[in-house]
Amino acid sequence: MEQLEQYRIAENLEQDLGDPSHPESVMSFKTVMELDEQEAFPEQELTWLYNWHLQDYYVPANCGGKFTNFEEFLAIVRVLSRRDQTTGIAFTTLFWSFLCWMAGTDAQKQKLSKFIIEEQGALCLGYSEREHGSDLVNGGLTATKVSGGYILNGEKWPINRATRSGLSFVLARTGEEGEAKGLSLFMVDKRELDSSNYYNLPKILTHGIRGSDMSGIGFSDCFVPDSMLLWKEGDGLELGLKGFQITRTFCAAFSQGAADTALKTTLNFALKRIVYNKTVWELPQPRKVLTDAFLDILICDCETIGAARGFSVVPEQFSVWAAVVKYFVTRQLEQMVNDVYVVLGSRFYMRDEHDYGIFQKVLRDNSIISMFDGSTVVNLHALILQFRQLTKTRQRRKPKTMSAIASRLETTFSLQKPAPNFEPTKLELFGRGADDSLQGLEIALTQLEELKGNPEVDSEMLEKLIALSNLVLEELNAHDEAIAQSKFEFGHEQSPELFEIAKKYCALHAAASCLHMWIYNRQLLGDFFAQGEWLVLSIHRLLRTIRPMPYSISETYSENVANELVRLHKSDKLFSIVPIQLAQSIIKQEDKINELIRI
Amino acid sequence: MNSSVSNQTAIANWLIQQLSEKLSLDKSSISVSEPLTRYGLDSIDAVTMVGDIEDILDVELPSTLFWDYPTIEKSSQFLADNYDVSAIAFDSDAATPEVVEEKVPEPVAAGKSKGWGGLFGRS
Repeated sequence: MEQLEQYRIAENLEQDLGDPSHPESVMSFKTVMELDEQEAFPEQELTWLYNWHLQDYYVPANCGGKFTNFEEFLAIVRVLSRRDQTTGIAFTTLFWSFLCWMAGTDAQKQKLSKFIIEEQGALCLGYSEREHGSDLVNGGLTATKVSGGYILNGEKWPINRATRSGLSFVLARTGEEGEAKGLSLFMVDKRELDSSNYYNLPKILTHGIRGSDMSGIGFSDCFVPDSMLLWKEGDGLELGLKGFQITRTFCAAFSQGAADTALKTTLNFALKRIVYNKTVWELPQPRKVLTDAFLDILICDCETIGAARGFSVVPEQFSVWAAVVKYFVTRQLEQMVNDVYVVLGSRFYMRDEHDYGIFQKVLRDNSIISMFDGSTVVNLHALILQFRQLTKTRQRRKPKTMSAIASRLETTFSLQKPAPNFEPTKLELFGRGADDSLQGLEIALTQLEELKGNPEVDSEMLEKLIALSNLVLEELNAHDEAIAQSKFEFGHEQSPELFEIAKKYCALHAAASCLHMWIYNRQLLGDFFAQGEWLVLSIHRLLRTIRPMPYSISETYSENVANELVRLHKSDKLFSIVPIQLAQSIIKQEDKINELIRI
Repeated sequence: MNSSVSNQTAIANWLIQQLSEKLSLDKSSISVSEPLTRYGLDSIDAVTMVGDIEDILDVELPSTLFWDYPTIEKSSQFLADNYDVSAIAFDSDAATPEVVEEKVPEPVAAGKSKGWGGLFGRS
């Protein structure tokens, strides 16, 4: 498998950070556990990352930074988060800068770029309020127009890095309560404020990411100049919702990092622990649990890496795609972490045993990811509101539409193809019913049919794959039929059944993304990927959640996937469709030396 | 279609119809001069409703249309002034003047019993 350029920085960062299981490494499990126990902010770790100039990858190249594409960005945040989500999230609040890259003036962009790159500045996002939660348009923080600027009054809470940041994006009400155009977004540079006019709220004690600066900020007759307003007065909600499309998608990277560590530390245990004269790994049930966990990671990779590239190709479709990723990936991996802990046994609960007790930290830290930046319910609701459009659009596809989808799918999913530059101004509040992954499902089916007789592809595997893919299509057609027959209502009192339908839609979406990913990268991502057995098992796994299916589709495939999991683990490769080289495990190297000595 | 019904009225009627169906409201309770949010239509719903109009007019509209023109009166005026809205004017439900005058019951309860009535009608 050849090295993909977009993964080079993540691999470099990985090597420079070193093996997290080695106590001397930067962000080692030992260190991050100690910080967590003290509920201490990871100050030194963040400084190390700034000195490494990781912040440059959060600033677009045309604004003075090194950000070029989200696929690279995703891999970077994953590498951080597999060590410590507290640090990963604290550093990655920098991704709110996309609000400015999207809507800022040249002067605002220049200022922010300098602040992040040269001044090692940090950001926070002030949207939610104690009394209003996600009901943004009824927010109580007001901005009253005065000559040359605005007067801010009110509080934002709970806000990650509210205290430890120089710059806050603050959503303030400039119009009437409840008005969509009544909100404006300010990029507030705290250094330029009169310090007597703003204050920070105390750190909130949390279940996970305990070292985070989870606090709040308040303003009291605080003057901010016009130059801190982003875009125009009244455009705050539009900007805020578009910004969410970016950040909701990339929350997936935090989950991916957690999933990696949960599986690795459990494997460390299962491969060595002897019970009934065998290792835990050699027992069929735990091996199946861990193999399924690996499949979950691969499925989520296809969905998330597809989306990361899709941002450059179909940014206008992200009112749908971001909601799918934020719901599906974070929940699937949250469930995965919950599934594997039984293999670790009671050690999963211990704070100072087995790999420094990292598992219980991952479990606690990770449980916030599906909640923040738009909860599970918020994202499913966003999908429900778009179902009619999605169904109509799919029904109306014509040959010309299909060939356009085919062309976009290739650019989106083919990792070898350069994705165009991301243009944030092309984000749309709603995607007008377009969703290439599922609307291009028939294209994938045709491509699978065309592979029949290809000597590179195992015919039995292909047969299974085609049969399963047809079931995905059948389910999608049934979904559209159900939507067409249902009564639609606006508002927040949607039927609970619709939320279940939305979950199914996400599972189908993931299945389609897996298919596209395999079809366009079959010859690129190595033998294991190419063989497609993991794909058959993955589609089967997804379908099992939405219709009755046989328990197992192939014991042999499961064994082969299990063997690949161990191979990746032993060679310190990332559990991923792009298994980049991780920092070499010193412990494993010692094991190897001991093994050689024994021989 | 009744030719005396202006384009703006036709759109206004169509919007009233939509709101009454999709928010389970009595049409007589909907005033053209009140903000749509008063009827429980939140900001994201309002964006979604733009898609419904785009479907009928077969034209791309600003997704913030109902944010910028937050009453039926203002949005219907904006649409009538800037777009060819004859497709809505010809829509049987919308163009029925009685809808506004409320002399006859709701013409077709398609939304309640048969899905969204004609969802797949357009080819």
